[in-house]
Amino acid sequence: MQDESCKHLWKITNIKPCFIINEFCYKCKKNTTYFSLEERPPIERYQEGEHFWNTLGYDQSIRFDLQCKKCGKLVKMEELAGLMMCTGCEDNCKVYSLMKELEKERTWVYVAFGFLPFDETKQLDKEQISVLEDYFNQRRKSSTSKIKIVSGDLIENFSLCYGNIIKDVDMLSSKPPEN
Amino acid sequence: MKLKELIDKFELKALTNIEDTHIKGVYLSDMLSDVMSRAESGSLWMTIQTHKNIVSVANLIDLSAIIITNGKNVPDGTIELANRFYVNILSSPLPTYELAIKLVEAGVK
Repeated sequence: MQDESCKHLWKITNIKPCFIINEFCYKCKKNTTYFSLEERPPIERYQEGEHFWNTLGYDQSIRFDLQCKKCGKLVKMEELAGLMMCTGCEDNCKVYSLMKELEKERTWVYVAFGFLPFDETKQLDKEQISVLEDYFNQRRKSSTSKIKIVSGDLIENFSLCYGNIIKDVDMLSSKPPEN
Repeated sequence: MKLKELIDKFELKALTNIEDTHIKGVYLSDMLSDVMSRAESGSLWMTIQTHKNIVSVANLIDLSAIIITNGKNVPDGTIELANRFYVNILSSPLPTYELAIKLVEAGVK
């Protein structure tokens, strides 16, 4: 039973391996991302109404939800496309400013972002971001460092950001990794 | 076992500055999403992945160290990022399986 007074202790649940697909429509110049749960990434070009979608790239990733071990409350993370570690690439960025402030106390800043296009898809709300942050901090057993998770809204131009997005790079390459 | 003891015992090469810490388990995987969702905080992570994304994952879940196996070269960018975020990276010439057996035999589980 869900308990509003519960001091939640989060666990990861409903883990599903998937692909994150990035597509571009050459007609309207729209860039989209979405998760695919298919066994192979869909890479064929296709038409959808006015759009002519072409795959720009894909990476392996996971979908998951978070659930309280104590009261069973489930927080769905359907709007979460990925997590990115801020590495401080742009002096004027609000996330970098926060990082500079927090890194002195070893609090590391990660950005939780939703799917493209940001202005047309539902992004993560404050509760989802807060629960994500609690989950990763509860999971860390170190008392010397913490995680701060912020919304992707804080980044003015995502395409200029050089943060480190957590994804499986080159896992489907047909060539063995170079030494 | 502490990390510096492990480095000496298994002749691991430290590729970054080392912050000594207790090892609380071992996780073997080459998929970052798998490590992010399942590895325990404080674990050693053995992998052949060397992309700088490994630093983001190790930092996020507070792993004790990453061991790059098979003697793979690690790009300078990965090492620089790891030093900045206090992530320990070690290297072993052994394949993951062989090093895992040695760790188990030494009581590191």
